[in-house]
Amino acid sequence: MKLFQCIKQNKYIKRTIHIIFLLATVAVIDLALGNLLENFYFKQKSGWLYRTTYALNETTADLVIIGSSRANHHYHPEVLSKNLNLTYYNAGRDGSYIFYHYAVIRSILKRYKPKVIIFDFIKTGFKPSQESYHRTAYLLPYYRSHPELRDIIETKSTFEKIKLLSRIYPYNSMLVTIAAGHPALHSTRDGDNKGFIPLLDKWNEPLVSYKASPCYDFDKKEVSIYESILSDCKKSGIQLYVVVSPYYYKHESPDCSVVEARKIAAKYNVPFFDFGENQYFLDKPYLFDDSYHLNENGARVFSAQLVEAIKQEESKTYAFQSNLDQ
Amino acid sequence: MAFTSFNFLIFFPLVLILYWLTPGKYRYITLLIASYFFYINVKPVLALVLFGVSAAAWGFALLMSGTRNEKKRRTYFLVNIIIVLLPLVFFKYFSAINNALLKYLTEIRLNWPLPEMRFILPIGISFYTFMALGYAIDVYNDELKAERNPGIIGLFISFFPLILSGPIERAGNMLPQFRKAQSPDFALIAKGLQLILWGYFMKLVVADRIGIYVTSVYSHVEHHNGTSLLFASMLYPFQLYADLGGYSLIAIGCSNILGYKIIPNFNRPFFAPTMAEFWRRWHMSLITWLTDYVYTPLSFALRKYKVWGIVCALLLTFLLSGIWHGATMTFLMWGLMQGIFLSAEALLNQRKSIIEKKYSLEKKRWYIVAGIVFTFLMFSSSMVFSRAATFHDAMVVYNKIFTEHGPLFVGSPSTMIYLGCGLILLLLKDFLDEFYPHKIKLFDNDNTIVRTMSYSAIIIIILLIGVFDSSQFIYFQF
Repeated sequence: MKLFQCIKQNKYIKRTIHIIFLLATVAVIDLALGNLLENFYFKQKSGWLYRTTYALNETTADLVIIGSSRANHHYHPEVLSKNLNLTYYNAGRDGSYIFYHYAVIRSILKRYKPKVIIFDFIKTGFKPSQESYHRTAYLLPYYRSHPELRDIIETKSTFEKIKLLSRIYPYNSMLVTIAAGHPALHSTRDGDNKGFIPLLDKWNEPLVSYKASPCYDFDKKEVSIYESILSDCKKSGIQLYVVVSPYYYKHESPDCSVVEARKIAAKYNVPFFDFGENQYFLDKPYLFDDSYHLNENGARVFSAQLVEAIKQEESKTYAFQSNLDQ
Repeated sequence: MAFTSFNFLIFFPLVLILYWLTPGKYRYITLLIASYFFYINVKPVLALVLFGVSAAAWGFALLMSGTRNEKKRRTYFLVNIIIVLLPLVFFKYFSAINNALLKYLTEIRLNWPLPEMRFILPIGISFYTFMALGYAIDVYNDELKAERNPGIIGLFISFFPLILSGPIERAGNMLPQFRKAQSPDFALIAKGLQLILWGYFMKLVVADRIGIYVTSVYSHVEHHNGTSLLFASMLYPFQLYADLGGYSLIAIGCSNILGYKIIPNFNRPFFAPTMAEFWRRWHMSLITWLTDYVYTPLSFALRKYKVWGIVCALLLTFLLSGIWHGATMTFLMWGLMQGIFLSAEALLNQRKSIIEKKYSLEKKRWYIVAGIVFTFLMFSSSMVFSRAATFHDAMVVYNKIFTEHGPLFVGSPSTMIYLGCGLILLLLKDFLDEFYPHKIKLFDNDNTIVRTMSYSAIIIIILLIGVFDSSQFIYFQF
């Protein structure tokens, strides 16, 4: 009783107790709400959050497409699957960068070995950008369940580990998306075709030609992640193809990141196909949805050309192997 | 470092511990070191400009107070003003002046031998320059005694909670507080924490979420129709209010925790029924500064022209406010529009009062609501100039708003939902504070549970729908 009265009278102790009470309340709500969000997040059966989970946890496709929105919209499943005789999954995600791409590859390699991985490389892929680090936020819900991704997620910021003490934080700004992905609601969403989302508009703007710009310094972490993608696939015996898919704009000089990526690919003996400023596509705006993305028709045409390039590469390798055998 | 960075959440408690551990009379030194450390984190070399401005403000104020010769005092004052203003003019306006001259000389076919030069604007320069100027003017006008301790003046100009975006404080308010050894005041600390929390809500939940929409529309004005441009233009004032208002609350809250009382910067501006009232509630520290040091002396000097003198003073003051924001045609137009709105109000004020009295309009709800809506529309229409990247873009926006209608650009539906939730909460709080100040108490409730749940709810909302890893505060560019 005396102690209680002493506490009541001492404003320092009283304030400290209030603060502890507040922190405890926040921690309890955070834990409860965070668990609820986690539960609903992993219950989704559609949408881009679900596709990330599927790519990381479930796909067993022979051919996996990795990259950003360009990867997601440019590689047509029917054309690639039928012509290469491989099962297909497209793990490309809008607005993702190389850290995310490497995380997907790591998670996949932990489970199984696809026969082929196509990695869609973008122009300015090595240009320093805060955005590429920030976008590893896509992986936050997997931090606890996927230890292999932790070091990649921690590149996001110095204090990511501390921030992840909150259980809500990984699901920041996802509330509506998670709710919409609930099995009771997901039928309202547009479906995907093995991860591939076709774009349906036609671009009708004139071709833009940019002046030559001076080369920029590369983000060393991004270059090293790219090398890790190449070396991990090589070590696992996976046939990797690095592809720059078509753009509907051109530069007077080649992009420095593409030049560097090609050089590194050659070092690892990985085929590198550059369709970035392919004249065939630059002449046909109607194959594009906008200047960055092919539409579905464009994806079909490009995928067919890519199949040809892959087959040519395979035959070269086969001829080389045969010569070695003889 | 920005207030929204995790670094600040570590920096501030550390400073706080060091501050309270330091003996009372040396606490200003701890704060001075912390302030420079804070500033150096932005760009080390630019701290030299801050140091120079502080040294000039301190030295010339002492020289002014050390002489009774009016001619000398005036000379010291003018030199002080020039030295303090020089970095601001150089960094902020040199490129604009240089480019304008270059363009003119090229037009008349005269070669300009120097290549184009671009400078990084020292962050917060417009804010600390105005604080230093205010101090010089106050000392010159004998409203304030010159401070002998250079550390106190250095701290006043570099005080880390205020340096990046204000509020633009007055030496008369701050110097006595810095001189006195502060002791922990729990009521002030609690108030400070409350302000910080609401500031983070305003910035992360409201401003940055609206910013996603407004930026996506205003970055490509040529691709959006008038409906989307109108909607983005109506949202932008709320973004700016939540951004600078949120920053100000965090700044005031941090200062409160350190034991200092700071002038408020916003007072529910969107419930102002007239433009004059709006400007008494919006960016108050800048407006009171301009009122005291520009508008009042100008209107006094022009008093013989009666109401036209006031109009002239208003136009010049707001033109200066526009120039303070940036040396561009868009900000000049923005300032001019504010001046015109306020002048029109000043000219019509007498007639308006007669009508209001005749029909007892002042207390009628519909009249107040109409005034609030009309004021908001006037302000948001002028903000097109403040937001558009160029004068041409602003004209495209106005043109499209009146001529090109179509479906509203939604972008991501979740952005619109979060944006709506944040904005409704913000306006609801402002509405209750404005019209029912003592009816519904949440953060100030006497019941600990209600209070705790209110704080917890805000923290959880920030975690759930706050925008993290986002851009800087808008006013860092000024």
